[in-house]
Amino acid sequence: MLSLEVKNLNKRYDGFQLKDVSFQLEKGYIMGFIGTNGAGKTTTIKSILNLIHIDSGEIYVLGKNFIEHELELKQEIGYAFGGIDYYTRSKIKTLTNIVKKFYHHWDDEVYYSYLKRFKLDENKKINELSTGMRVKYSLALALSHGAKLLIFDEPTSGLDPVARDNLLEIFQELVQEGEISILFSTHITSDLEKCADFITFINNGVIVNSADKETFIDTYRLVNGKESQLPMLKEKLISYKRNSFGFTGMIHKKDLDPSLNIQSALPNLEDIMIYLSKKEDLHE
Amino acid sequence: MNKLLIKELRLGIHPVSYLLPVLFGALMLIPAWLYFLVPLYFCFITVPNMFGGYKSQNDLMFTKMLPVSRNEMVKARIAVVIILELLHLGFAAIFGLISTKLYPNLIYYFFAPSFSFFGLCFVMMGIFNLIFFTMYYKTAYKYGAATFTSVAAAVLFAVAAEWLSIANEEVFNLFKGSGADSIATQITILAAGIAIFATFTVIAYNIANKKFEKVEI
Repeated sequence: MLSLEVKNLNKRYDGFQLKDVSFQLEKGYIMGFIGTNGAGKTTTIKSILNLIHIDSGEIYVLGKNFIEHELELKQEIGYAFGGIDYYTRSKIKTLTNIVKKFYHHWDDEVYYSYLKRFKLDENKKINELSTGMRVKYSLALALSHGAKLLIFDEPTSGLDPVARDNLLEIFQELVQEGEISILFSTHITSDLEKCADFITFINNGVIVNSADKETFIDTYRLVNGKESQLPMLKEKLISYKRNSFGFTGMIHKKDLDPSLNIQSALPNLEDIMIYLSKKEDLHE
Repeated sequence: MNKLLIKELRLGIHPVSYLLPVLFGALMLIPAWLYFLVPLYFCFITVPNMFGGYKSQNDLMFTKMLPVSRNEMVKARIAVVIILELLHLGFAAIFGLISTKLYPNLIYYFFAPSFSFFGLCFVMMGIFNLIFFTMYYKTAYKYGAATFTSVAAAVLFAVAAEWLSIANEEVFNLFKGSGADSIATQITILAAGIAIFATFTVIAYNIANKKFEKVEI
């Protein structure tokens, strides 16, 4: 079953456009949504949540059209937007007491178990919490109302490596039982190496690739060659960088001709992000 | 809607704002003052503070992410402002009554606290609501221009009413002459004022709702 399905999403702004954005997230998995700053990650997430009005396209959450069943589906969604905090001068206790009234399936027992687990003191004010603790508080809220789909926009931004690793571990635990799915955007590729099952890469408002992590990485090859080999490959390379030994570039696996006898290796996500983004620069 | 209203009252409004109707209302005890200023203080002080708070605490996104409709959001926000307006006018009326008992033989250059004066206050607040909400809901977070324009319109109304009641004989008679002696006339003016307040606020709600539907958050 699909937890989230985005179909041909289009949204035009002056100077930026989401073009035919489509991807799917299966129930019980984590999808990392990556792209450079300004690639369209937040716009896509805001479109999914009907915070902005899309020009065209369809969004299905847990099999239902989100715009048509928004209120019902929001009962099933948890969210956090990195760097955006709400009512920071209020105590956790105050905020929770207000928020919980909006959810039909709120469970106090679950809520307090997460507070304990995340070491959150409900008498603390939001602005007394570290960035990591704030994300955990959002998580506690989401899980206490039984959210099945968690959507996080850059939840790891501003977190130290330990807090980031801790959060990603929690993400992995949450999806283990197969009920909860997580979509989270980031530009920190190491987050995804650690915990994403699926990866969707967006660049300049266009989805470049969306697949399970292994397939995603296996789509590309990093090639190292001499300057003399560059003209033969240039057309097929997604992008390349010249260096003192020749060049390093990225190519689609299917375009790599074994007879060329050129050194190739699997790229990591950071390489993929850099070379795919560089391609855009070349075309501009 | 009720849950949202509780959210507005508990999170959106600083507790001091609940005290202000009493404090501002007590200004009615100043003998023969320009009493229009009492409800206007709500527009000058409470409104920008409240809406500044909503903006700085990212209320728009916070509330939109709750399982509530845009329509309910507008309704709750306008309802909370109406509650505060009524509190301000209510306390002003109580202190106004005390004021008239305290100083029975005062000569008023401006409007005296009377039912008809409060009828005019309702019209003034109706004008404020109409302009403020229709401008505010273009963005649902920028409140500066909306506050300035709506306050300016309310002040203009107050100045015009005060001036007419001095310069125009008929208006003078209605509010300060024979009309002031007739409780029936005063109550009629109050009822008309409340009706105008209600009409303007309902129009404001409808326009605000349509505008907020288009807002991108």
